[in-house]
Amino acid sequence: MRRILLVEDNEMNRDMLSRRLQRRGYDVMIAVDGQEGVRMAQEESPDLILMDMSLPLIDGWEATRTLKTAVETKMIPIIALTAHAMSTDRDKALAAGCDDYDTKPIELTRLLGKMDALIGALS
Amino acid sequence: MTEIASDESAQHVLPCGLVHDLRSPLNAILGYSELLIEQTHDAGHDEFIPHLEKIRAAGQQLLAIMEENFQSC
Repeated sequence: MRRILLVEDNEMNRDMLSRRLQRRGYDVMIAVDGQEGVRMAQEESPDLILMDMSLPLIDGWEATRTLKTAVETKMIPIIALTAHAMSTDRDKALAAGCDDYDTKPIELTRLLGKMDALIGALS
Repeated sequence: MTEIASDESAQHVLPCGLVHDLRSPLNAILGYSELLIEQTHDAGHDEFIPHLEKIRAAGQQLLAIMEENFQSC
C-alpha cells in the first residue's frame, strides 16, 4: 500500500482529501503544520508528500527546501498544493524543489494522475 | 464575457486575497460533495445522488465564475 503524507492545516480539506485517498487504497498520514510535516517525513519516509504551501510554523516552501536538501528525504516526491492559481506559484513551487504542483480546489482525477506519474499507479 | 468581467471595479470589490480565501471552502464543498456521491452510491442510496450532483454543479459553477473573472489572482 502506498504511504502518503498529507501536510495540510485546514481541518476540512485535510479530512476530505485523506478520506478520498483512503477510499482509493492509499495509506494516508497527516501533519497539520510544516514543522510536523518535516518531522514525519524524516521519521516515516512516505512514498509521496502532498504539501500545502500556506502552513503555520514553517510554510510549505521552507519545509520543501528542508526536505529536498537532506540526504535522507530528498528522494521523496513532493506535490505542492496551493490555493493560488498563478503560474508564478507553480514556478516558485518547482524552484523550492517540489516535483509537481496542483491547485485548489483539488480535482481528484488530475491529482491522482500526478501522483501516479511520480510513484506509479496502484494495482 | 460577463458583465462583471467588463467592469474593472469588480477587481476592487473582490480583491485577490478574498478570491484566494474562497478557494479553501470551495475545495471543501466540491470535495465533500464528490465524496458523498461515492459513499451514497456505495450504500445503495442512489436516489439522493441527483441532489448531491446539484451541490457539486453549483460549486463548479462558482469556481468557473472565479476563474473566468479573476484569472490574475
